[in-house]
Amino acid sequence: MNIPHLTFQDLLPVAPAGVLVVGAIVLLLSEVFLSTAQRTYQAVIGTLTALLAGAVAMNNAFEPARAALQGYVVLDPFSQWMTVLVCLGTALASLLSAGFLNHRNAERGEFYALILFSAAGMSLLAMSAEFITLFINLEVLSISTYALTAFLRRGPRPAEAGFKYFILGAFSASLLLYGAALLYGATGSTRFLDVGLALPQAFAQQPGLVYAGFGLVLAGFAFKVAAVPFHMWTPDVYEGAPTPVTALMSAGVKAAAVVALVRTFLFLVKGLSPEVPFIAFSALALLSMVGGNLLALPQRNVKRMLAYSSIAHAGYLLLGVAALFAPATAKGSDAVGLFTATPLLGSMPNVAASVYKGLLFYLLGYTVTALGAFGTIAALERREDETRSNTWDLERFAGLAQRKPGWAAAMAAFMLSLGGVPPTVGFLGKLYLFGAAVDAGLLGLAVAGVLASVAGVYVYLRVVVYMYMRPAPADAPAPFRHWTTEVALIASAVAVVALGVLPGPVTEWFSRAGMVFGS
Amino acid sequence: MSAEQVLFWVFAVATVVAAGGVILARNPIACAMSLVATFFFLAGIYVLLWAHTIAAVQVLVYAGAIMVLFLFVLMLMSLSDQGPVMTFSAWRIAGVVAVVTVLAALVLVFRRLPAQESLAWSGDAARLGDFGTIKHLGAVMYTQWLFPFEAVSLLLLVAIVGAVVVAKARV
Repeated sequence: MNIPHLTFQDLLPVAPAGVLVVGAIVLLLSEVFLSTAQRTYQAVIGTLTALLAGAVAMNNAFEPARAALQGYVVLDPFSQWMTVLVCLGTALASLLSAGFLNHRNAERGEFYALILFSAAGMSLLAMSAEFITLFINLEVLSISTYALTAFLRRGPRPAEAGFKYFILGAFSASLLLYGAALLYGATGSTRFLDVGLALPQAFAQQPGLVYAGFGLVLAGFAFKVAAVPFHMWTPDVYEGAPTPVTALMSAGVKAAAVVALVRTFLFLVKGLSPEVPFIAFSALALLSMVGGNLLALPQRNVKRMLAYSSIAHAGYLLLGVAALFAPATAKGSDAVGLFTATPLLGSMPNVAASVYKGLLFYLLGYTVTALGAFGTIAALERREDETRSNTWDLERFAGLAQRKPGWAAAMAAFMLSLGGVPPTVGFLGKLYLFGAAVDAGLLGLAVAGVLASVAGVYVYLRVVVYMYMRPAPADAPAPFRHWTTEVALIASAVAVVALGVLPGPVTEWFSRAGMVFGS
Repeated sequence: MSAEQVLFWVFAVATVVAAGGVILARNPIACAMSLVATFFFLAGIYVLLWAHTIAAVQVLVYAGAIMVLFLFVLMLMSLSDQGPVMTFSAWRIAGVVAVVTVLAALVLVFRRLPAQESLAWSGDAARLGDFGTIKHLGAVMYTQWLFPFEAVSLLLLVAIVGAVVVAKARV
C-alpha cells in the first residue's frame, strides 16, 4: 500500500474551492445559530467568501501549469482565471440575491450556501483532469443549481423549471458518463493524459467505439453549455429560476462547462486528427450563434429573451473552442494572422494563446454584463398579479429613463455590451474572440457570427428604445431598491464600461504563455 | 463437485426461479419480494466470484434502499390483486420477437468469445488474492483515489442540503 504523499503545493489548485465550501458551511451554520430576522449579513458573508476565493485563485493563476493531487486535477492559469471569473459572478449574484430574496421574504442561509457550493463545483469542474473527478464535480455544480432553481416556489412555474432542469440535466450527465465509460473501455484508463496516449491505437482498432465515446461526451457538455440543438431546456429553466440564479447559471455554469470541454478534448485528441472535433464544434457554434439570435427576435419577455441570448453567447464561445481545433491552430501555426499580427514582429504568436485570451476575456465580459442585466430585471420584475406573460414584459421598461435615469443608463450599458457595441466590454470580448477565430482560419464562421450578432443587436436595442423613447405607462413600476442590489449593479455597470475602455493589465494576464496544462 | 460448485448451482437456480417470480406473479408486492430474493441470491454468486464488495453493495443498495423505494411507489399506487389479463396484440407479438432476437444475438456473441486462458474458471477463487475484497477496495479508495473520494463527500453534502431545500415548506 502506498500512502499518497500530498504537499501544500498539491492543495493549491483546490484552495479556492475549499474557501468556498468553508464559507458555505459557515452560512449553513448561521441559520442554526440565528438570533435575528435581519439576514442581509448572510449575503455579505457569501460575497466576501467569493471575493476571498477569487483572490486565492488569482494568486494561483500566476503559478506555472502542472498536474496536482495525483493527477486528478491540474493547476493552470486557464482554470484558475475561470475560477476568478466564477467567484466574481458569485459575489455579484449573492449581492443581487439579498435584495431579491429580502423583498420576497425568502432569505435563507441555505440559498447562499448553495450558491457557494455551485461555485466550488464550477471551480473544481474546470480543473478536473480525469473522467470520474470530472463527473463528480459536474454533479456538485448541477445538483446545487437544480436546488437553487426550485428554491423559490412561487411565481410563474418555478417547479416546472426545477423539474425540467433536473430530469434533462440528469439525462445529459448520464450521456457524458456513458461516453466516458466507452472511452474507458477503449483505452483502459480514465485519466485524460493516459486516455489521450492510448487513443491512437484504440482508434485504429475500434474507431466506432471512440467516435461513440466522443459523441456522447460532447453531447453531455453541449447540454450544459446550452448549445443548439441541445438548448431546449434553456428558456424554460432560465425563466422559471429566481432571477439572480439565472444570472449565475448563464455566466458561471457556461464558463465552467466550456473550460472543462476545452480541457477534455485537448487531451483526448492529442494523437488523433483534430478534424472531427473541429467539425463538431464548428457546427454547434454556427447553429447556436444563428439559432440563439433568431429565437431571441420574437420574444417580448425580457428574461426569456436573455435566455435565448445566452444560447447565442454559448455559440460565440464555441466558435473560440472550434478555433482551438482548427487545422491552422493544430499545426502549431506560424501563419500570419489577420488581426493579431503585429507589423513590427512580422509574425504573430501562437494562435492558441490568442484564443485563450479571447475566451477568457469574453467570459469576463459576459459575466459582468449578464449579472448586471439579470440584476436589473430582478429589480423590475412584477411581483403582484404576476403571470408568465406579464412578469418580465418589455412594458416594464417603458419610460424608465424619465423615471430612473441611473437605472436606465446602467441597463442600456448592459444591453449594448451584450450586443457588442463599443465602448463596452462586450465589444472588446467579441473583437478578441472573432479576431482569434479569423487568425485560426475560420473566416466564414466568424463572418456568420458577426452577422448573427447584428441580428442580436436589434433585440438588445429594442429594450433601450423602450426605456428611452416610450412613454411610461400610468402604473409604471419603480425598481425595487436595496443597497446590495445597487452596489452590485453599480459595480457591474462600471466594470462593463471601464473594461471596455481600458482593459488594462487584464488582457496581458489572459494572454500569458502556458495557459493550459499539457497543451 | 466441490462445495463451491454446489453452492453455485443452489444460488443460480434460486436466482432464476426468483427472477421468474418477478415477472410471473400477479400481486405486485409478490413481484417486489421476488426481486428482493433475486438480489440476495445474486449477491451469493458475487461472493463466490470473490467480489465481496459488490455483494455487500448489492444487498445494501439494491435489496435495501432501492427496494424500499419500489415498495413505496407500489403502496402509493395501491394496485389491486387483479393484474392485467394476458392478451395477444400485434405489439405484444412484436415485443416477443424482439426479445427472442436480442437473446439469440447475445447467445451468438457469447459463443464466439475467444477462449482466454486467463479467464477460464479454475474453481479456485482464492487465487485472486485481495482483488474484489473490501480490504482491497478500501486501500485503493483511500490512497489511489483519494481526491475523487473526497469530492464525493462534497457531492453528498450538497445533495443533502439541496434535498432539504427543495422539500421544505414553500418559501
